[in-house]
Amino acid sequence: MIEVKKLTKKYGANFAVNNISFVVHDGEILGFLGPNGAGKTTTMNMLTGFISSTSGTVRINGYDIVDDPINAKKQLGYMPDVPPLYGDMTVMEYLHFVCDIKKIKKDKREEMLEKITSLTGIEKMKGRLCKNLSKGYRQRVGLAQALVGFPEVLILDEPTSGLDPEQIVEIREVIKELGKNHTVILSSHILSEVSAICDRVMIINNGKIVATDSTEKLSEGSDAAAQLLSVPSENAEEALEALKQKDGIMSATLVGQGKEAVLKIESSGEDIRKAIFSVMSEKNIPILKLQPSGDGLEEAFMRIIRGENEQPDPGFITEEDEPNDASEKKGDES
Amino acid sequence: MSAIYFKEMKNYFRTMTGYGFLGFFTLIMGYFFISQNIVVMNANYNETLSGALIMFLILIPILTMRSFSEESAQKTDQLLYCAPVNVSDIVIGKFLAAASLFLIGMLITGIFPTILYNLSEGRMDTGLTAVGCVGFVFLALCFISVGIFISSLTDNQLVAGAGTFAVIFMLLMMDNIASSAPIGNTASLVFVSAIIILIAVYIHTSTKNIAVALLFAFTGTVIAGVLFLIRSNLYDGAISGILGWFSVLARFENFYLGSVNVSDVIYYITFCTLFIYLTVGTIEKRRWS
Repeated sequence: MIEVKKLTKKYGANFAVNNISFVVHDGEILGFLGPNGAGKTTTMNMLTGFISSTSGTVRINGYDIVDDPINAKKQLGYMPDVPPLYGDMTVMEYLHFVCDIKKIKKDKREEMLEKITSLTGIEKMKGRLCKNLSKGYRQRVGLAQALVGFPEVLILDEPTSGLDPEQIVEIREVIKELGKNHTVILSSHILSEVSAICDRVMIINNGKIVATDSTEKLSEGSDAAAQLLSVPSENAEEALEALKQKDGIMSATLVGQGKEAVLKIESSGEDIRKAIFSVMSEKNIPILKLQPSGDGLEEAFMRIIRGENEQPDPGFITEEDEPNDASEKKGDES
Repeated sequence: MSAIYFKEMKNYFRTMTGYGFLGFFTLIMGYFFISQNIVVMNANYNETLSGALIMFLILIPILTMRSFSEESAQKTDQLLYCAPVNVSDIVIGKFLAAASLFLIGMLITGIFPTILYNLSEGRMDTGLTAVGCVGFVFLALCFISVGIFISSLTDNQLVAGAGTFAVIFMLLMMDNIASSAPIGNTASLVFVSAIIILIAVYIHTSTKNIAVALLFAFTGTVIAGVLFLIRSNLYDGAISGILGWFSVLARFENFYLGSVNVSDVIYYITFCTLFIYLTVGTIEKRRWS
């Protein structure tokens, strides 16, 4: 369990992280989402005690990272954004060194390292010098290093960056698996990743938490609210006219035209897919393709980051809202 | 601490550093042994040691320039500082590893006094040689602690190496500098004030507290000024006195002549502790600012 209270980091007059508080429970995977420079890495560095906070407290399983750093760090596995590898060591030498500094008992090592190397898929690289590893394998060894000792809390800074698509899927599976009995925080600027792995997402921008909710809730609403519809070009005008007259559809615009015309259809929040279908079948216009306009989470994310959420969308909770109220309200509406 | 120590030791021999250091060490000691003892038929091994002091300029930077600069350049410092280890353990582990490598060099070159003892048919003073070697090692430990400190100041190992070279050069020259320093009272007052202001600047950069730094600078200079007015003879030769404290060589002279003073031993230990403490402080400060 990780408890963060009013954590702030100031560099000069700038706030890198501004008064954030949150709790991550045991067995939960929390995703940190935010654009570059939002304060994700700074927050993680503070959680792990690598840098200090200007004010605020961090408790890892009840141990304060400042007052009782040794015990707090024993609970932690940290994978920084740049894997901290010693180029002159082989992968196994490196992992043994990590065992040494984490004070893992000698008799438990072999079995544990066996398990970790197979989990992260680096068995074949055991004897390779770290400096000769490719970026993907460096990343994997970085993850392996965090897993040494199987600490209860794992903090992973962009764990899948630099991996190929197949590896990304593998690593995500590993993290999901670990999430069952570890507390995990991972950061990412890739939205699909967060929605694929995490139970809960925290969106952070300019050092502040701008939204936090479960991945489903965050992407709900926006998923169905905007649709991209492809129809044959010759039917575009007709389709547009018909759609605009339909109840529940706020706007319909032509966003692209080639052989097919692409229409963007927006509603005020409710699912309009049925409405679209009924309009099209009435007019006998074939639907070539119907898809949500972009990743649902991405939409939500972009809107939040742009600060367009002045009127809080019922789909997510802003800091001012009472968490339970808002999510129930959402449930009632949909 | 042992984890860091063994990692560093293995690292010395995994790379060129360890072999390069030992090779160079043996070569230079061998050269001075030939020129100071064998050719001139002198049975005093301490002549070799005092001649070889100059090699510290090159050897100590080789030993220490990587220790912390490399960690922060490779970002491996994140691993160390997020592990359940104290920073002081990390610094001491690295210090001991560098010291051990130096001692291995001393053991290898231990063959020279053995040869000398046999060649001189027992006329070599073993006690004198032993004391000389102890002084030599103490001197090296001081330089190693300085080198590790400088390495913690920068990410660039070449800058660390050059900086260590410059500081060791200054330390070796300190006797000359101290003896040629102005002895006038006024110059001393200026010098003391400059030191007080430097300390105040250090306080400011490490605590970000300008009030405390200003208070320190103000009261320090006022006290120095008042003392100057009422007891100006306190300042007689103060510059060379203060600089003389940093003269690690002056202490080595005693060992070279075969006398072990408790004060010298305490001096060397204090010197090393001070720089190890400063290194820990620098690392903590980097993480806390």
